[in-house]
Amino acid sequence: MKTLLKLTGIKKSFGAVRALKGVSFELVEGEVHALLGENGAGKSTLIKVITGAHRPDGGAIEVGGEEISELTPAKAQELGIACIYQQPALFPDLSVAENIGLRLEKLGIFKRVGWGDWRQKAEELLARIGAEISPVAEVSSLSMPEQQLVEIACALGSGARIVIMDEPTASLTQKEQHLLFKVVRDLRAQGVGVVYISHRLEEIFALADRVTVLRDGESVGTNPVNGLNESQMIRLMVGRDVETIYPQAEHELGEVLLKVESLSCAASGLEGLNFQIRAGEIFGLAGLVGAGRTELARVLFGITPADGGSISLNRKLLEISSPRQAILHGIAYVPEDRRKHGVILEMAAAENMTMASHSRWFKGGILRKGIETEAGREFVEALGIKLSSLAAPGGSLSGGNQQKLSVARWLATQPKLLILDEPTQGVDVGAKGEIHRIVRDLAKQGMAVLMISSDLPEILGMSDRIGVMRGGKLVEIFEHADAEQVMAAALGSEEVKA
Amino acid sequence: MKRYSRELTVGGALVLLMISLAIFAPNFFDTQPMISRLASQMPALILALGVALVIITRQIDVSIGSQFGMCAVIAGTAAAAGVPMPLAMLCALVAGALMGAANGWLVAGLGLPSIVVTLATMVIWQEVLRLWQKGLLLSLPDGVQWFGMSQGTGQAMVIGSTLLILVLMAWAMKNLSSGRRIYATGSDAEAARLAGLAPKATTFWVFLLMGVLAGVGAALNLVQSPQIQPNSGEGLELKAIAAAVVGGIAITGGRGTLWGVLLGMMLLANVNPALTHFHQPPYWEKAIQGLVILLAVAADGIRIKKQKHLK
Amino acid sequence: MKQTGSIKALLVKHEMILLWVIAVEVILFQVLGQNFLTAGNVSNIFRHSAEIGLLALVMTPVILTGGIDLSVGSLMGLCAVVFGMLVKVYGLDPLVAAGLTVLVGALGGGLNAGLVAGMGLRPLIVTLGTFSLFRGLAEALTHGSKSYSGFSDGFLALGNSDILGVPAQIWIVLVVGIVIWFLVHHTTYGRSLRAIGYGEEGARYAGLPVKRNISITYVMAGAVAGLAAVILVSRLGEARANAGMGYELLAITAVVLGGVSIFGGAGNVSGAVLGWIALAILNNGLTRISDYEILGEKVSSVARELSGLLTGLLLIAALALAICMKMLAAKRSAKQT
Repeated sequence: MKTLLKLTGIKKSFGAVRALKGVSFELVEGEVHALLGENGAGKSTLIKVITGAHRPDGGAIEVGGEEISELTPAKAQELGIACIYQQPALFPDLSVAENIGLRLEKLGIFKRVGWGDWRQKAEELLARIGAEISPVAEVSSLSMPEQQLVEIACALGSGARIVIMDEPTASLTQKEQHLLFKVVRDLRAQGVGVVYISHRLEEIFALADRVTVLRDGESVGTNPVNGLNESQMIRLMVGRDVETIYPQAEHELGEVLLKVESLSCAASGLEGLNFQIRAGEIFGLAGLVGAGRTELARVLFGITPADGGSISLNRKLLEISSPRQAILHGIAYVPEDRRKHGVILEMAAAENMTMASHSRWFKGGILRKGIETEAGREFVEALGIKLSSLAAPGGSLSGGNQQKLSVARWLATQPKLLILDEPTQGVDVGAKGEIHRIVRDLAKQGMAVLMISSDLPEILGMSDRIGVMRGGKLVEIFEHADAEQVMAAALGSEEVKA
Repeated sequence: MKRYSRELTVGGALVLLMISLAIFAPNFFDTQPMISRLASQMPALILALGVALVIITRQIDVSIGSQFGMCAVIAGTAAAAGVPMPLAMLCALVAGALMGAANGWLVAGLGLPSIVVTLATMVIWQEVLRLWQKGLLLSLPDGVQWFGMSQGTGQAMVIGSTLLILVLMAWAMKNLSSGRRIYATGSDAEAARLAGLAPKATTFWVFLLMGVLAGVGAALNLVQSPQIQPNSGEGLELKAIAAAVVGGIAITGGRGTLWGVLLGMMLLANVNPALTHFHQPPYWEKAIQGLVILLAVAADGIRIKKQKHLK
Repeated sequence: MKQTGSIKALLVKHEMILLWVIAVEVILFQVLGQNFLTAGNVSNIFRHSAEIGLLALVMTPVILTGGIDLSVGSLMGLCAVVFGMLVKVYGLDPLVAAGLTVLVGALGGGLNAGLVAGMGLRPLIVTLGTFSLFRGLAEALTHGSKSYSGFSDGFLALGNSDILGVPAQIWIVLVVGIVIWFLVHHTTYGRSLRAIGYGEEGARYAGLPVKRNISITYVMAGAVAGLAAVILVSRLGEARANAGMGYELLAITAVVLGGVSIFGGAGNVSGAVLGWIALAILNNGLTRISDYEILGEKVSSVARELSGLLTGLLLIAALALAICMKMLAAKRSAKQT
């Protein structure tokens, strides 16, 4: 078997965060090689190294037995590497056929476009993956899964030798999935190497020849799929014991603070959610990417208002149609995307901290720098934020301190319900522990905390109760659970539930 | 059909206007005045075709009126100095290309916002023109008007060459790789970059082509009168943009056809003559133009919102 | 990592540079020109540019949010005509008419606000549309040619007399300037404008009233355009449809020259004011240049004509400079990491 791709000792850091700590990976002709790991284990970074989007800090990349010193996206394409990202990069205003044609054919500017050829080619490729999409349809009229199918058709048509699929089935229907599997098998039969990333174990069993498990930026090992069963695989993924010591709850829980009943939001794909959180309780929300956790947070915070069901806080029924209203009711949301939504990078730390609570500090809307500085100092001290000065722009802080800044902004609103979305993503270990301590303290003071996290040990260690979401529904609420149970519920795997 | 709904709406409005004119003011269709009117609208149509390309790329160019004026005076001066007619026209095209390239370099090369860049170049060319011509009329030598032919032949040539350009451009936008690159760049520049379509180069060439078309428009304007005013291009940029936007060129880029621009221009250009034929004062032209731009943009906004809502 | 800090340092430096530019302008025109630094001329510099100053002041908040308002010049034309009609046709007291004119300006700005903030349309095309609409309405109201004149002396004094040795309208500019400066730098409203300019989505996540505050900037721009129209009519003694033509460009130039980022977020009112003064001095100084002859052309007559051209070139130069600075800062920070 010829080796198509060989990575040895790939290292990659982003600032203080070490995303890949020396990963080795090998792909041979005619195999489907699954890449498995929790969110944040380093899968997407590894993919980007293979497609040339990220330059590794160390390690060697060999394609077809030849060492490549500098891999750029263009070079990767030339070498026959194609990647289907989760987010399609298509032209929304153009037809499907044209999207595929423009991607596959590199025409000189005065060359005539072969509309008929493009259409035929698109029809053929779409038929091969069994997608029922008209080649003349405008891409903007397609649904997300349909757009993803178009992406897959592009990769298929490019004649790549190495195809990377990043959770290709995340939004596909059952039927589309089966067709996709057939495509993957066809590719394999043609000698193409497929790197297949998925959270769904049954897919890996159905498709993959070998599986490499990544954990915390390291490869735990490569195994033939035949030799493993589901629970072994889950154990490989979760693997480690809970090493970090999480601050434990030592206080009594208060009354029910947040009560959510049959909450729905069609636009975000949420359906019939029921749960409640008591004062002083940390409710952990686990699930895979795309399970609807962030969508739930956005509904509670009024960014995408609900269209059914009820939300009540302190027994009061709430109408939440904007973040402003949510804040007035005492709901705070520390968002997932820190750099885009959590902190305004160009503005001063102090300004960031008071941003969501202007009316509290500045009576009559007039800025008072003295009050701001004082408040800022208090938060800096309480949360242990490290910064050169309160006037330093948010972007000059490290990831962990930016996150604390974002938390400070929301504590300043004196919320009753605090929603945290991936609070420790991209944060170094020290800051992570501090953030955990802060969250626990806040709960102790009587706040209700809804914590979304893809970091299983964090969910297990911090939560008083754990809700698991899958496909826009809250499928399970555990009083006590271990990693395997949560993972099984998130994956929807019956076998390991026990 | 849905894709061409704007073209159909505008076409329908145009037909309605023509029918009502045919009933209430039939002398609107007297052959000679109508041909003269049509010929005089052709330079603006050429500009509208160019600016349509710019808008499809998701940019804007408000300097085209000034470019038009510059090109006209340059060609006129050359002709007045005894340069043979074809060469004088070539001067206009080259001048337009240079001015377009300047915009293109500032927008695509330096990454400056096109609205501010072209606002600045609009004033620069306008002022250069003013300093140079001091507002004086430029008389043209005899052989220039109607290419030295009879008025009828000249008008036919103006209309014919404009339509030829329209057909060629519309065909190229539909069938040439370069045309599709323009649509792709405006639809999503980042996706265009990933697909290796060089969106920056496309943007540059579109601005350059815009300049050349300003030159063509100026040349076709030049032949229609015995002398030229240095401010002949003033306000043309808005007329052209309005025609493009009304004809279905989406300001958000990547959408619309040049046939729509033709319909948009015919509708807008005939509003004023129609007003006079209905015995209404013609002062409302600019206001109607502005209102029409706003309506067209708002209609696009509603379309996008609906689409988002559907998802 | 220090990149944003140094951008701030640069901004401060930007204002220092502008002060130097102004100083050089003053010295140059004093040497080359006639009667440049006289009380009368200095007063003229400000008197003749008061309207531009007002527009630059209200353009600042708009550009801080990452928007632009191309319609202010046309709105001045419409407001001037409305004011002329209110006084000369309907015989209203100039003060009442002025109040109503400002209201009309605010309504015009409200149209922009509704389309930009309410419908989420791009400000450049919206205000390009209203640019045409407002001027067109002004022309329609005056049938393209009519103008209104013969205003009372009391009203004309606003544009042509001095109060405490300072042109009367400059007091208005001062008041508007202080209000805008206070709003932008000392209120939560002003801070939210900067947050919106840096990232509208981020501002929304922080619960800021994004739509409302964007609306306010456009309404304010409209109202002040109305005020500027009244002042212009008073100074010229005539209300015409072409009032304020091209002023939007001068205002934008002053603001960009003053170091306000065209992409939104960064910048301050004092910079915009200095940009305005530098531009005003340039325009006035060029007309004061003495007669020298170079190659048989009178320098003075050429110089007098140059101000428009220089404004355009200056705008491009200022923009290009800002971009180059940004690229340099990015390069430096890339090296650090």
